[in-house]
This record gives sequence, C-alpha cells and structure tokens, in this order.
Amino acid sequence: MIRVLALCALATFLLLPLVQAIVLSVTATLTHGGVAAGTIGLMNYSNVLADPDVRASIGNSAAYVLLNVGLCIAVALPAAYALARYSFVGDRHFLLMILVFRVTPPVVLSLPIFILFSQLGLVNSPVGIALVHCLFNLPVAIWILESFIRAVPPALDETAFLDGHSGPSFFFRHLIPAIAPGIGVAAFFCFIFSWVEVVFARVLTVTGGKPVTMAINAMFGFQTDTGLVMAMTCLSLVPGVAMIWFVRNDIARGFTLRA
Amino acid sequence: MRPHDNRAWLLLLPALSLLGVVGALPLLAVFNYAFHDIFTLSSVHWVGFEWFIDILQSDRFVASLGRSLLFSVLALSIQVPLGIAVALLLLGFGKRAAWGLMLCALPLVVPWNMVPILWLGLIDADTGLLGPGLAAVGFDYKFTALHTWALILAVDTWHWLGLVVVLAYAGLSAIPPAYRQAAAIDGASRWAVLRHIELPRIAAALSIVFLLRFVDSFMIYTEAFAINAGGPGDATRFLTLELGEEIKGFSYGQAAARATLYFLIVLAVVWAFVAATRPPEGEA
Repeated sequence: MIRVLALCALATFLLLPLVQAIVLSVTATLTHGGVAAGTIGLMNYSNVLADPDVRASIGNSAAYVLLNVGLCIAVALPAAYALARYSFVGDRHFLLMILVFRVTPPVVLSLPIFILFSQLGLVNSPVGIALVHCLFNLPVAIWILESFIRAVPPALDETAFLDGHSGPSFFFRHLIPAIAPGIGVAAFFCFIFSWVEVVFARVLTVTGGKPVTMAINAMFGFQTDTGLVMAMTCLSLVPGVAMIWFVRNDIARGFTLRA
Repeated sequence: MRPHDNRAWLLLLPALSLLGVVGALPLLAVFNYAFHDIFTLSSVHWVGFEWFIDILQSDRFVASLGRSLLFSVLALSIQVPLGIAVALLLLGFGKRAAWGLMLCALPLVVPWNMVPILWLGLIDADTGLLGPGLAAVGFDYKFTALHTWALILAVDTWHWLGLVVVLAYAGLSAIPPAYRQAAAIDGASRWAVLRHIELPRIAAALSIVFLLRFVDSFMIYTEAFAINAGGPGDATRFLTLELGEEIKGFSYGQAAARATLYFLIVLAVVWAFVAATRPPEGEA
C-alpha cells in the first residue's frame, strides 16, 4: 500500500509539468484569428505546424540527430569491440580519455568550435551539429556497446572465423545481430542527448539551419502566446517519447558496465 | 583473460580522429586563447597569466564557485539516494517496472531550454496548476533567494532523476536472486542487504551517475539562467552564468581563461574520483 502511494507521488511529480503543458497547448491563450482566448481546441498545433520556419526546424533537428546517431554507432562499434575483446597498451587510458571528453562542459568548447567550424564551412549545417554532438555521445555509445559485446561469449567470434568469415562479414552477419538490443539502447541515448542539447545547437546555427529548440525561442516576444509555445514543446517531446517506447524492455540493460 | 594485441588501436582510430577534431583541437584552442587579449580575431595580444590572476583574485569568482559547489552537493545528495530508492521501489513491481522506467525517462527527452518553460508555466500565478496554491503560501521565486534555490533544485531533480533511476535499476536487476535468498536465510535486515549486497553491486553504474550528475549540475546554465538570471541579487549566480556574460560581452580572452579554469576544476574532480574509486590492482 505504501509502495503504491509512493509510486503515485512520484508519478504526480514527474507528470505534473507535462500535464500543465498539454492543458495549455490545447487552450487559446491569446485572441487572434477569430478565436477567443480560452477556447479549447487544436488550433495551437495547426498554427505551429503552418509556420514554415517551424517545419524547417523539425527537418533540421531530425537531420542532425539521425546523422549523429548513425555516425556514433558506426564509429563506436569497432572501438567497443577492441575494448571488449583485447587488452592493449593504454586501454584504460583510452577509457579515461573518453570520460574526460564526456564531462567537458559544452560552454567551455563553444567558442573555438564555432571558429573552427566556420573555417570548415560547417556553420548553419546539420553536419556540423552532428559532428559536435559526437563529443558527448560517442563515449556513451562506446560504454554501452562495450558492455553488450562483453556479454557475448568470445566463442562466437572464434566459430565465425573458423567458418571462414572475414572481419567485416563477421561484424555484419554475426556480431551486430547478437548485440542488436545494445545498438538500440546506444542509439536511444545518442538520440535523446542530441535532441535535447541546446548550447552547441545554438552556437552553430547563426542565420540558418535552426533546430527545434531554437524555433521555440523565436516564439518569445513582446506578447508571448503561451499556448503556441506549449504546443511546440509538446510536439518536441514526440520523437523522444517514441524512442522510449521502442527501447522500453532493453533500456535498463545497457549499463552493466565496469568502472 | 583477454588476449593482448596492440593492433586493437587500429579499431579505435575512427573514434580517436573524430574526438580529436571535435574535442582535442578546440580544447587546445581554448588554452591558447586564454593567454591572449582578443579584440578581433586579427588583433590578438599575448597577456600571459593576466586573465587567470584577475579571475582568481576576484571575490565574485570565489562566491560563484562556492554557490556552484553547494548546488552540486545538494543536487547529488537529493538525486542519488532518491534515485536508488525509486529503483528499489520499481524492482518490487517485477515486470511492470518497465512502465515506471518509461515514466522516469520521460523528463530526459525534454529539450533543455523547454524544461524551465514547463516549470515556469506550472507555477505561474495566473495560469499554472500550482500557481494559486504556491502564491497562497507566499512562494516567490523572483525575490526570495531560498525559494529560487528550491525551485532550481526541484527542476533539476525532475529533469535528471530518471538517469539515476535507470542506471541504478540496471545494476539492481542484474543481482542474481541467489544473493537475496542467501541473505534472507541468514536473517539479514533490509539495511544490511542494501549496505552489503545492493550498493556494492551497483557501484560501477553509480560512479558514472555521480560523475555525470556532478558535471552537469556544476555547469548548470540553461535552467538557472531562464528561471531567474542569477537573481535575486546574486543568490543564484553560478560559474557558468559569469562565463555566459563574458561570451556575450565579446571578451573572448577572458572567457577562454575562465573556460580553462572550469575545465581544470572538472578534470581535478573527475581524476580524484576515479583515483579514489579505482578497484585494487588486478583485472575484475
């Protein structure tokens, strides 16, 4: 009984701000376009989605997040395999180094990243943001994948090589199917950390390529339409919620890692 | 025992080159800027350690450092025990725990700049669900320092509790049932099970939580700035708010020196933590 009450208290705490946002998002908070303030309906959503800037920002965010996830997984897989299967000079130092990069505060690096990327022509482009987000996502992907590969018995590798599989063919035909849930979990964390990040996403989009998080900032003005802002917020949660749903059974398995 | 083979470095090459471009190179650039006075990118003067001395000697820096450290300590001491408690609670629900985990993970997918928007909407005196109630008990986050702190801590806890819960739950659910059965046969108390079985088994996951939560709370910016911009007075001026002001004011050299200092502080804490928690020699 106490456990159920505790769970209810937790759920209230976690859900209350979201409930508030949903309520406001279906309420007209300002009178315009013939709709009186206080009317209930989906007009905020249709207004938000009718805005070409917002539509473009959704595309931009999706582009860099997907690019980032793909890049992180592709680069992290071989590294995680090396760490899980071999010991080599400096392996512990490598783990410590990626930890350092993971905990480097983005504000520290924002300025030189901007200067470097403007010289490389990567400002205002999804590619730039996708690359920068690897700074904190790649370490996470390596940790998660390493713990999953470690859980696969080395006998799998040996049998595959005895069967005459080459390195790449073993990777794609045996290893990747064996750790599919791990790839899902790694992709989940890369996705959400990239989707919610604002410091780099703001710094690297000066004139164009604005992500969703910046589109919402543009809605604050002399007379902010709270309903519109909340509708945008709710929309921005949809991909994340969908990702949570996809990995719900594996989410807790990704972190049985060694320190 | 894993075979020893230094060719494994070849598999790390893609990761290393990527991190080199987006991590190491910018870091070196920051260190370089920190020793220069930068008017424009073509007008740069060497100033040596001047910025560092200026910053370290200012009272504001010391005060902000104290506030940031206090905030981290408070955030960790609320979120870590609470997260473990929630994970234990969920563990008791067996298969249905997945729903609880999904619930806890929900705030993690909210874009950072929308977290304060959600909460300010919730406590808005006119339209918020909690607004009238909080106004009735005299809650005023704009002008009462204690209330601002409480609000930022509540927001941060709401945002990040899920991470602690997910990682703690992952560790806890991996404990073989035989451990608990043996403890039950021995008549171990609930506290003894927690102290001698559960906490040691989730130590690895918890150390990651500790580091991530320390750094993120120590370098909190988006929430703190959006909620009260460092006010009332200077009561919630954290380290990052000063850095943000300098970047907005285009004093890049000083900002870089400050960024370097923050990086060194974070690095020192991480190093101390890793050294203190390193298992005794020998492969686990």
